[in-house]
Amino acid sequence: MLRLIANSLLRRRWQSLATILGVALGAGLLLAVFLLYHGFEQGLERGRQRLGADLLVVPANATVDPDKALFAGSPLSVYMDSKYADQARKIPGVRRVEAQFFTQSLKLECCSVGTESRLIGIETQVAYRLAGMSPDGREKLAPDEVIVGSELLGGIGKPGALIELLGYIFRLAYRLEPTGTSLDYSILMPIDSARDLAAKSDALKPVWLEAGDPHQLISALLIEVDDPGHIKDIGRKLEDLGPLKVIRAADTFQRLKRLMTAFVFVLAAAGALTALGGVAYLLGHFSSVAWDRKGEWALYRALGATKPRMMQLVVGEAMALALSGAVLGLPLGYGLYRLAFARLAAQNAFPFVAPGSGLLVAAAAGALLFYGLIGFLAAAAPALRVAQLEPALTMAQGDID
Amino acid sequence: MSTASKTVLEAEDVSRNYGTETILDRVSLQVRAGEVTTIVGPSGSGKTTLLALLALLLEPSSGKIRVAGRDAAGLSDAERSHLRNTFYGFIFQTAQLIGSLSVLDNVLLPAFLAGSAREHRVVARELLDRLGLSARADFLPHQLSLGQKRRVALARALLLRPAVILADEPTNDLDARRAAQVADFLLSLPADGYALLLVTHDPQLAERAGNRWQIHEGKLAPLTSLPTLPVSRPETFVLQTTNNEIL
Repeated sequence: MLRLIANSLLRRRWQSLATILGVALGAGLLLAVFLLYHGFEQGLERGRQRLGADLLVVPANATVDPDKALFAGSPLSVYMDSKYADQARKIPGVRRVEAQFFTQSLKLECCSVGTESRLIGIETQVAYRLAGMSPDGREKLAPDEVIVGSELLGGIGKPGALIELLGYIFRLAYRLEPTGTSLDYSILMPIDSARDLAAKSDALKPVWLEAGDPHQLISALLIEVDDPGHIKDIGRKLEDLGPLKVIRAADTFQRLKRLMTAFVFVLAAAGALTALGGVAYLLGHFSSVAWDRKGEWALYRALGATKPRMMQLVVGEAMALALSGAVLGLPLGYGLYRLAFARLAAQNAFPFVAPGSGLLVAAAAGALLFYGLIGFLAAAAPALRVAQLEPALTMAQGDID
Repeated sequence: MSTASKTVLEAEDVSRNYGTETILDRVSLQVRAGEVTTIVGPSGSGKTTLLALLALLLEPSSGKIRVAGRDAAGLSDAERSHLRNTFYGFIFQTAQLIGSLSVLDNVLLPAFLAGSAREHRVVARELLDRLGLSARADFLPHQLSLGQKRRVALARALLLRPAVILADEPTNDLDARRAAQVADFLLSLPADGYALLLVTHDPQLAERAGNRWQIHEGKLAPLTSLPTLPVSRPETFVLQTTNNEIL
């Protein structure tokens, strides 16, 4: 039977190829959309966990893209007095205040990553939340320890490695998981160490002449409140402290999620339409096959093919086409996903977590299953009609070759 | 030969109606192993319908078809399909070959449908050899002449060693030389124990075959002498290859 199916498909090679390509495009698009959606969703969730704060406070004059600042790890090259951290801690309802200090970008000469690496000073408890770790049971990073993003020092950046930054030696404490954001290209160190490096940098001296001593400056405050119901009140009190801008994480999170949902909806709609188009095409294809090839089917019946065997032949052809298309579509879809991922990562447009190999395999298997099912459904009705063909039809027909 | 008189296929008072029109009217016929049974009649007289009924391709409106002594009325679709596959060998008015399959695979088609192609491959090659087509085994049907196609159909009909060969106008559209070749082969089959049921309106073929019946307006009757049957035999144009093989 497999030989009959294979021969039939090969005889109509252009028709078969067109069907396979149509299915491949649909399957590829679906796979890419699924992987991108999953990556966005995970990225947003990881960004929210990494943030661990309800409010972001920056200087009022800062030109801030809240989406990127909150969820994409984009640093802010703006500064404000560190006293605001202490004042914020005194506001009732504030549970936790963490200061961050963003400083200069570096070019890693030893191991270029093709982009600049950002140096961020953080309070060490932030470091542990970012890393999702508590190495050696310690609670603090040592002054000479750093955490690096996933894209930095590939291959050599293992914990314990020594790194020279702006003439000073640091020890790598941890490497972060990929996030698809600028955090992947960042170096995190204790805030005081970052301030020391910044103060000693000749390139940044003009900045400190204007902004003041970097040891007294911070770039942003991350604030967690006791009761989310009081966020608005606490936000107003923070703004009363001075020329500060308060960004509510929940609002930004929701807005970003809506934006992403709309983005993914467009992709998903395109994928769904392609899939539906594939179903309609296969249905039309096999409906016409049932009619156009009735002479051949009737001959099979006359020569002894049972009704179930006839259905196997028709459904088998459909599933062979659908599965071939899906198999071809998998690398296409993965390629499309990698392309989109690279473009988005380059722009830091969205937080993104690349799916693991387990999910890739599951998604590929799901796509195969889906298109196998589509092939089956598209051929089921025509196959039933074929099975009902009168074998006597073959007595009245002309040659069929 | 002891099988010569064994009835393998029988129609008893079989009628077939299409709407209000009666195509076959209370037809009775016995087909015996090792014998030729010939049915002649003009176009539209019901010959092919009778053949289809005897081949279990159609069901009678009334009457009985017995296959190897068993009433076909009680057979399931699977049983009828199995009989069509193994008990009958079909030769249709046209060769009815599958264009995507090679000559060898076309011969093997009944075995493909039965899921037994592998074990019949040797038999298929022997049949092609016997019919002078072994050199064409890997050809596709469109590369064959009309006569060669008809011989492939003959090989296909014999593949599973059926009890009955049903031949519907087997010399139709063939020139005299090719028709004679096909007739020679067919008429040699009863000697091997096959029951051959031949339906034709070709008086030359009918004359050579025995046990003749005539069907007229749906009624079957023994044919004692051959009437002048209308037949159109195309003028013979024989093409020959360099090795003198007739195309």
